[in-house]
Amino acid sequence: MDVPVREVVRPGSLAEALLALAERPDALVIAGGTDLLVQLRDGRKRAATLVDLDRLDLAGVRETNGGIEIGAATPMDRIAADPRIRRLHPALAEAAAQIGAWPIQCRATLGGNLANASPAADTAPALLVADASLTLVSHGGTRKVPVEEFFRAPGRSALAPAELILSVLLPTPSEERGLRAFESFVKVGSRREQIISMVSLAGRALVAGDGTFSEVRLAFGSVAPTPVRARRTEHLITGRRPDAELRREATRVLQDDISPIDDVRAPAGYRRIACAVLLARFLEEAAHG
Amino acid sequence: MAERVTVTLTLNGERRTFEVPPGRRLLDLLRDDAGLTGSKEGCGAGECGACTVLLDGVPVTSCLVLAASADGHEVVTVEGLLQAGRLHPFQDSLVTRGGVQCGFCTPGIAVTGAAILARGEADPSEQARLLSGNLCRCTGYTKVIEALQDSFAKGGHAKS
Repeated sequence: MDVPVREVVRPGSLAEALLALAERPDALVIAGGTDLLVQLRDGRKRAATLVDLDRLDLAGVRETNGGIEIGAATPMDRIAADPRIRRLHPALAEAAAQIGAWPIQCRATLGGNLANASPAADTAPALLVADASLTLVSHGGTRKVPVEEFFRAPGRSALAPAELILSVLLPTPSEERGLRAFESFVKVGSRREQIISMVSLAGRALVAGDGTFSEVRLAFGSVAPTPVRARRTEHLITGRRPDAELRREATRVLQDDISPIDDVRAPAGYRRIACAVLLARFLEEAAHG
Repeated sequence: MAERVTVTLTLNGERRTFEVPPGRRLLDLLRDDAGLTGSKEGCGAGECGACTVLLDGVPVTSCLVLAASADGHEVVTVEGLLQAGRLHPFQDSLVTRGGVQCGFCTPGIAVTGAAILARGEADPSEQARLLSGNLCRCTGYTKVIEALQDSFAKGGHAKS
């Protein structure tokens, strides 16, 4: 069955795309379309026009002097396979490898995963621990937005009308001599593939030889109106060794960092327990490398 | 719905042009406009993989691709897996290893499997991960993975 749209515009340049968006207030941007087409078909989203970014060539991973820049139209399978991302941002590579399944990963884009502004977007926690920022562009100009300020509410982001995501910048993670960096991404669902996360966790820490944690960053998906950093928990763990007592304390403090709800995928109570389990596992794995 | 979009693509090696409604999905272009009914619609939401085709050489669920977005690209359907009138090596192995039962998922599995061979992925657990977007309620997947192993053993990845 056809998707209910009246027009598909396929601009050949970024300037044309931005103009097309500026001229059509009821247009939506389409890249991979793996989420958008589902939402258009079941009526959760409506658009008279789709502006297709396919010809803009916004896909690609490149190193800049500040870090790694990923074009918004880069598909998940390329992110999962990129050796630089796997080495410096393993949580993002792992999250990309766990979205949908292979045919979805070949099509779904990083920009789409973010623009959708789902609290369950799997790349979001990984970008939060990377302190990533988004470059947004419109007919009026370009601006940078930290990923933490990008998500506003379920389905709502900092994107203004007629604005699109151009790229995502991941600054080179800090390293210190003698400290081991550990980073991981885990998601919980009813099966490993083709599921939307009930809970997800991206975590990063530097671990000293005596087991002391520093630079702790924890970000959870599907447990608040937006993907969230668990700052109270991070603060608690920083500068300490996660022994049994600290792990118990962290589990308690974590509950104030999250605000899960009951939905079709999982009840809030389950999500709270699952978060605690994921945190405990992260601390264990980070401590032992 | 008077508007139409022109879609020119390479379909199973042949350059073809279609005039379709702007909201047409690639799956419907293939089945209704091109008459290639091998690709099946199962869920219509990218979850079952029955509509999987190759877009520029990589597997995608054609129910989630706008036909207009395929303009200028290369699409291979299960019909295009035939090589000189003969089954693709993986299709051959699916037949001999009993990897086909009711058949509804088979076109999608054949396409994803051909892509796995083309990628040169020989590890069975990685093959299973790459196949996880193709649901099959009959085979239990074991014979599908055996068929992949079989076509690898016969050098099917080099020929695909």
